[in-house]
Amino acid sequence: MNKTLIIGVVIIGFFTLIALLAPFLSSYKPSDMDQTHMLMAPSAKHLLGTDSLGRDILSRMMYGARISLTIGLIAVGIATILGLILGSLAGFYGGFIDSLIMRFTDIMLCFPTFFLLLAAVAFLESSIFNIMVIIGLTSWMGPARLIRGEILSLKEREFIQAERALGASHFRIIAVHLIPNALGPVLVNATLGIAAAILLESGLSFLGLGVQPPVPSWGNILIESKSTLGIAWWITLYPGLAILLTILGFNFIAEGLKQKIGGF
Amino acid sequence: MDDLLKIRGLKINFYLGTQVITAVDGFDLDIGRGEVVVLAGESGSGKTVSALAITRILPRNARVVDGSIIFDGQDLLGLDIRQLRAIRGKDISYVFQEPSSYLNPVYTVGDQIMEAIRLHQNKTKQEAYAQTLKLLEAVKIADPARVAFSYPHQMSGGMNQRAFIAMSLASRPQLLIADEPTTALDVTIESEILQLLLTLKDTLGFSLLFITHNLTIARRIADRVAVMYQGKIVETAPVESIFTDPKHFHTKELISAYEQIGRI
Amino acid sequence: MENILEVKNICKDFKVEGGALMREAGVVHALTNVSFTVKEFDSVGIAGESGSGKTTLAKIILKLILPTRGEIIFNEQLIRNLRKDVQIIFQNPYNSLNPKMRVYDAIAEPLVIHAIIPRKKIKERVCDLLQMVGLQQKMSARFPAEFSGGQRQRICIARALACEPRLLVLDEPLSSLDLIIQSQLLDLFLALKEKLKLTYVLISHNLAVIKNITHSVVVMQQGEIVENEPTTEIFSHPRHLYTQKLLAAARE
Repeated sequence: MNKTLIIGVVIIGFFTLIALLAPFLSSYKPSDMDQTHMLMAPSAKHLLGTDSLGRDILSRMMYGARISLTIGLIAVGIATILGLILGSLAGFYGGFIDSLIMRFTDIMLCFPTFFLLLAAVAFLESSIFNIMVIIGLTSWMGPARLIRGEILSLKEREFIQAERALGASHFRIIAVHLIPNALGPVLVNATLGIAAAILLESGLSFLGLGVQPPVPSWGNILIESKSTLGIAWWITLYPGLAILLTILGFNFIAEGLKQKIGGF
Repeated sequence: MDDLLKIRGLKINFYLGTQVITAVDGFDLDIGRGEVVVLAGESGSGKTVSALAITRILPRNARVVDGSIIFDGQDLLGLDIRQLRAIRGKDISYVFQEPSSYLNPVYTVGDQIMEAIRLHQNKTKQEAYAQTLKLLEAVKIADPARVAFSYPHQMSGGMNQRAFIAMSLASRPQLLIADEPTTALDVTIESEILQLLLTLKDTLGFSLLFITHNLTIARRIADRVAVMYQGKIVETAPVESIFTDPKHFHTKELISAYEQIGRI
Repeated sequence: MENILEVKNICKDFKVEGGALMREAGVVHALTNVSFTVKEFDSVGIAGESGSGKTTLAKIILKLILPTRGEIIFNEQLIRNLRKDVQIIFQNPYNSLNPKMRVYDAIAEPLVIHAIIPRKKIKERVCDLLQMVGLQQKMSARFPAEFSGGQRQRICIARALACEPRLLVLDEPLSSLDLIIQSQLLDLFLALKEKLKLTYVLISHNLAVIKNITHSVVVMQQGEIVENEPTTEIFSHPRHLYTQKLLAAARE
């Protein structure tokens, strides 16, 4: 393991652990309000302070980590699986199928992802489930193009010719032989994708279209801090810092993996 | 015979992280003036590294750690990089296996030969161009003026190798080191290039160190054959006796394999 | 002896695209009217320099690519399932094994695909195959990267043999290997042919290899057959100028 990868894994491991152990680590419920302690600065009782409703920021952020990381992982999972299927079909079969899939990909890429998201969220209820699916459905194009490129070069290799000569089915060639060999770059891309998805969710929440209160996500903690920014800096700083560190962490992992795999 | 090159106890290490790998240990070789010595051996036996070590154009992680290389009376291992540069390409030249990858694709063949000339000789462009044409003629290229203005990708492998030989001979070296120069070529072309090298050797009077795994070539061009095995020269003998009376077990193994599939 | 394979008037053209609009810029005739037959238990050599269309021909025989014109006819009695009964060994063993697949899985795969033997017996069969090509059983858990070129080529041979083929197409099977390894593999090919009653189509630029294995030789030049004679005849009385030139270059 190289240094970059280790730093990344430590950062993400830290946040994942907190997310998993949130109920045990937090001393308050995330939605417990305390009218007597509103907008408290960080203190021994409330390590990261409280918000305008007297809720403990640290606890909210711990639970928020669960939401934000889950959204990142699942959304990227959906995008990567879609990308794998479409990209490998396009790359393997070529010709008409390739043109069809890739032109569709190009069309999807023409729309700025964020506005596509906004449009979709405007029509649907913004539940966590919907947000994950919608982010997934609007960000598979990158992985698809990447995988197609990998498959295109891999399928000319002799071991794929050898599989064909052996009578292996198309499904077998794609699933057992092509995809495992194309997975390295896809993994790197997915890691970057998680960071992007978390950022997207934060952006949506900031516009009030993301995860709906009182459920906390890093993005909507941040938006609630907007009106009190002048008097309670801690509500803005800590979730912002968490988002920044997580994205940095995933980028480090991606960079480290890239070095390990040998670049692409 | 008066020796042009005298190598004794050459030892080369590779440094891979914390690992030290000895690639060559126990390399003794003499080359007389005007002599053709073939360095034979299987892949990985250390032939190429030893040849590169003569003018120290080794990969970054390799180093000569012991031995002496006496060329024309001076120990090359005692020279600094500036003094070595004056010898590289002037007194000692190389020809490599893949001419098309050792020629720079963005310059014409003529430009590259002119560069080789002007690196070591104080000549004007016109003089260098005139000499380029002569050199191309010397390597039996039918249409020197056209070839001089061609790019490597416009020519066949055989033509590129001829051009590369012309470039190597630009400064009338005393020693030409040819590392598998015909391996990438078809047999009929190979035969022509070998003939060309022998003719040039006679007219220009250089010594030739020819590296190959192909004993047919050794039989055809060598005065003496040195057999390399696991980083060592295990046997050196005149070409007549090495085929009829091999001493070392590896030489015997090689000759018997050659008798089966190297000869018709 | 019966014909196992008939190559009939095979032509293959490759379109060359070029220019900004990818217009068709020209046609390369890779193969022109190639015809020959292979008898069961025989070995036929295909000789020629690079660019003579040998590998294209191999791929057409295996139906990995389609010919522009002409036919590949297999004896239906002998070759029931092309993908099982006809196998190919490629030139570059560094490239012809899936780097992410253990040797055991690579050799077991054809047994699974063609359901050649019951699943329970696969392990035993893989061991037999490894032994047959001169590899040790304990090597089966390793990945291709841990093997030398010669060993990888043996793995490829074991894979091909797992199909219990009748016809084996060898596309320059030795040319990327060291001389001593070449000679060992050549002996292996000769022994396997006897033991398993195989038929070989051997593609090689090395006439010495061809001379060792084959009964007859097809000499190709720029996609055309210039000579097709028994091996002894080719080496003692080459008729065509090109064959003579090849022999002379190899003998010098």
